[in-house]
Amino acid sequence: MKRIIIDREKCDGCLNCNVACISAHEEGSNFYTVNLQSIDSETRNFIKFDPKTGYTPIFCRHCDEPECVLSCMSGALEKDPKTGHVQYDETKCAACYMCVMNCPYGVLKPDNKTHTKVIKCDFCEDKPDGPSCVKACPKHAIEVKEVSL
Amino acid sequence: MKIVIIGASAAGISAAKTIKSTKPDTEIVIISKEDRIHSRCMLHKFLGHERDAQGISFVNEDFFEKNNITLLNNTTVIGLEPDKKIVKTHDNQDISYDKLLIATGASYFIPPIPGLRESKNVYGFRDLKDAQLLDTECLTAKNAVVIGAGLVGMDAVAALLERGLKVTVIEMTADIMSLQLDKKSAQAYQQLFEKEGAEFILNDKVVSVDVNAVGRGEMVHLASGKAVPADVIVIAAGVRPAFRFVEESEIKTNHAILVGDDLQTNINGIYAAGDVNGIAGIWPNAMKQGKIAALNMLGENLRYDDRYALKNTMNFYGLTTLSLGNINPEDEEKCDIFTREDRNNYQKIVIRNGIIQGVIMQGNINGSGFWQYLIKNKIDVSGINKDIFDLSFADFYGINQENGEYNYAV
Repeated sequence: MKRIIIDREKCDGCLNCNVACISAHEEGSNFYTVNLQSIDSETRNFIKFDPKTGYTPIFCRHCDEPECVLSCMSGALEKDPKTGHVQYDETKCAACYMCVMNCPYGVLKPDNKTHTKVIKCDFCEDKPDGPSCVKACPKHAIEVKEVSL
Repeated sequence: MKIVIIGASAAGISAAKTIKSTKPDTEIVIISKEDRIHSRCMLHKFLGHERDAQGISFVNEDFFEKNNITLLNNTTVIGLEPDKKIVKTHDNQDISYDKLLIATGASYFIPPIPGLRESKNVYGFRDLKDAQLLDTECLTAKNAVVIGAGLVGMDAVAALLERGLKVTVIEMTADIMSLQLDKKSAQAYQQLFEKEGAEFILNDKVVSVDVNAVGRGEMVHLASGKAVPADVIVIAAGVRPAFRFVEESEIKTNHAILVGDDLQTNINGIYAAGDVNGIAGIWPNAMKQGKIAALNMLGENLRYDDRYALKNTMNFYGLTTLSLGNINPEDEEKCDIFTREDRNNYQKIVIRNGIIQGVIMQGNINGSGFWQYLIKNKIDVSGINKDIFDLSFADFYGINQENGEYNYAV
């Protein structure tokens, strides 16, 4: 499967990945028009900063053994057997947030506005040239690579 | 090979999925006492008319056909004959198996209170059938009494309020959802429910129910002397593992079906997963157990080690809470308690000797999944020089450079 491979050392916290993610999930939006003030603007990837360790990219791994899928009681989260990516079906989700609790890396979150859905990386499955965050990273700290399951 | 699974909820379905994705030619028969697959965590959405029966299923409609699994629904197992490898059903079927998984879950319990068990209008809130019966009651009932203010009870309350009933909640402890919340976080929810019209009677208990001429409970009497009128009564006072059908077999039980770390019972080839084995009565653990039992039935030798069950999330009226571990420690446990709050959040961390014992995050639960890992694995956080509320996975960051998966560098 394809996974976003992270090189933490290269990240300098510019947050272009955040902007790209928000824009990619907003109808008709692009880098120049994206409204970062909107409560609807949600990023699916996160950069943590610590004075000692620097910047740490926290991105969904689409884990081999996804705890979020195992915790989902509505069938909204499923690991696609073909792509290996964990996909989320908002219409099935009951917003119980067991997945938020069970993601060991703290990637998942409720949506800010309504607390009725989950904000989850979809690997930009509908975009022909792959994850938008990866394309936006000027440091190549994140790159898509094929990994074996 | 033929695998029979008794029970079609989290553990049973997760086992069936695992078997079919590992060895697709395995014959699977699932026996379920229920009519259709559903997620009991969404029963309130059915009762509240937010979703229909298919809407609370956690598998696709064509799941059984597509995976070539035989489902015997509306079928109750009444006994086992492990020597002959046969399961006996209420309708006199003898179903043979090579390996058997018992995933029958738990049943609700009606306390032996005079009038309560006898009343025809007393319901649990466990299966779709319960929700369907309550649905019918809601057409005529005006006053509902919910006994027990745990998570299941509060789910029922939310749905009954949605249906326009006057709901009174009776709870023995001083606060609602007292296993998951502390006083402050419980009161936040209580106020939300009160705003929707619920009435709470706490620190009190039911002592008797007046049953009318047609066998329906109509007045609920409490220890305090209060009396609450009821057209319908929901009992949410806990569950018990459901294993009566094994009682005449050799399978060892002790309030639950006893299993080893491989989830096998004392009888070779018979496994038990989910609520019925009493390890951890919570959906994610049942799913994981179903998966491990399935792989072991197919010949693996895996251990189930995720026994941590003190965890929950809740989401009522848009207020979300994560609750983990021991959040109400006694003084003699000598824990340090840290709290932090603002207009929209209440957060509490219980810690002892650098090891986190319990966490409440009410309000913002963004990215809070890592807390469970820290508690479950008793990670010492005392060496990390920052505000404990600012911890994240980044403080324990590890990555496998080969496959890109994260791990904890601790």
